[in-house]
Amino acid sequence: MRADFWNPYVPPTPAARRRLALSSVAVILGFWSILSGFGLVGPNRLPAPWDVVSAFGYLAWHDGQSMLATATLWSVGRLFIAGLLVVAIGIPLGIAMGAAPRINAALSPLIDPFRSAPVVALLPILVMWLGIDEAMKIAFLFLGAVVYLIPMVRDAIQAVPQSHWIGARDLGATPWECIRHAVLPMAMPRIADALIVAVSVMWTYITVAEYVNARVGLGQLIQNARRFSAWDQVFAGIIVIIVLALLTYQMMRYAKARLFPWETHQ
Amino acid sequence: MSASPSLSPAPAVGSDNAVSLTLTNIVQDYPTPDGGVTRVLGGIDLTFERPGINMLLGPSGSGKSTLLNMMGGMRPLNVVTPTSGMVSIDGQPCHGPHDDAVMVFQRYANRPDLSVYDNVALPFRFKLWQQRVAESEWRARVDHMLEAVGLADKKALHPAQLSGGQNQRVALARALVLRPRILLMDEPFGALDAQTREGMQHLLIKLYRERPCLIVFVTHDVTEALMLGDRVIVLSTQPAMVADDFTLHAPRPRSLDWQRSPEAVQFSERVLDQLHRVSAGKGSLRVTV
Repeated sequence: MRADFWNPYVPPTPAARRRLALSSVAVILGFWSILSGFGLVGPNRLPAPWDVVSAFGYLAWHDGQSMLATATLWSVGRLFIAGLLVVAIGIPLGIAMGAAPRINAALSPLIDPFRSAPVVALLPILVMWLGIDEAMKIAFLFLGAVVYLIPMVRDAIQAVPQSHWIGARDLGATPWECIRHAVLPMAMPRIADALIVAVSVMWTYITVAEYVNARVGLGQLIQNARRFSAWDQVFAGIIVIIVLALLTYQMMRYAKARLFPWETHQ
Repeated sequence: MSASPSLSPAPAVGSDNAVSLTLTNIVQDYPTPDGGVTRVLGGIDLTFERPGINMLLGPSGSGKSTLLNMMGGMRPLNVVTPTSGMVSIDGQPCHGPHDDAVMVFQRYANRPDLSVYDNVALPFRFKLWQQRVAESEWRARVDHMLEAVGLADKKALHPAQLSGGQNQRVALARALVLRPRILLMDEPFGALDAQTREGMQHLLIKLYRERPCLIVFVTHDVTEALMLGDRVIVLSTQPAMVADDFTLHAPRPRSLDWQRSPEAVQFSERVLDQLHRVSAGKGSLRVTV
């Protein structure tokens, strides 16, 4: 065993990391192939990896159309609209709560409990209020993400050392200018982190949002396949969602690093 | 020096730099967690009538910063300051941050996302200074100030690319670019290494000569007080009271030879004796040489 194996301060080289990551995925795929290949688990309990691949091919192109592309576009569209609402409403609200303790005192009892509350349980209520069409789905995604985002944005504002506020105030800034020019810029990287979490949360909720009466979407695609016990398509659908969520995450991480290069070498 | 009239050094007295700052019987009490009261400042009377470098010297934890904050700076939040007594600037009672008083802190609060230039120009994003100073004027001031603190070639860099001393220069430039009549410095060089600190002291002397203002400089470093001060005010601790208050006439910058002169040694011993007598065992002091 390497001398620095149990040393948390010596990370592997990027190449070694990639090698380790790929090999653990390969182990799982190998194990899965053995289970299916030797008939240890039947296809109605665990679809074979090659069946999932062919299901993916079927979903990607069949009968002159791509169910997968259409479903992905719809899901991404819903997520995008809900995400815009989360940004437009959640970020200003979180900033206001972080910057004004009285607003926080008034609003936090309305928002904080939902962080640990089952947002999924609200789905029937949203259906009752908003019907079973797009408004309900977007409202659900919005709600599920915004209850995480608002407290995180608030905490990001409150985590900025008071010295920045005091320094700006002493230079003659109005209280709002202190927030705008001293506190907010310092909080931006953590606000970006909050947004990344919120988008990840929306990806986990997309299947739930599309449970009810979706005619098209990745959640609906999985739901539909399940109804016909097409487990290979269920697996393919789940993998697509995971890959898309991962891609979004990496893109946002990259954007954050480009927007706030100063944050890492603070 | 630039030939531009707006940048030439102002005469010390009788100009727009004329200022008077008066503290009358300042008392400050802080509540303690056990429900009692700690008296931090025990009745302080001080008058500053003209530009000059005034050193507030005392052991750490003596309430020097609290006193400094009352002189037109940011006072502690949510605490009534002072408990009793009055601060007045130009004869007007002063209850909070004063437009003509600017502070420089030990922890320079530079914006990490802005360049050196934008950090120095930051106050001109505020309405107060936009109304007071035209853009062409403040741009000229910022350029001049970057030159004066020796950061003209680094104006595009960001704070993370600078050393601690250079960051403190940015903070100093940001304060002086406003041409404050009162400059409040709260152990500004306390976190720097000895060599950098000496460089910063010389820089401060140079900047002061160029544009004299009323500087009140808090320090717990006896040597720093003697190197910089026109006037040294020694504070005792818990509660802080003026233990000594004397004037130094030696020209600046004061050399190592001066520090070893009988005059300087005498002052140094006088200060240390005072402090040991009034606050034995409380707080800490620094003597560099």
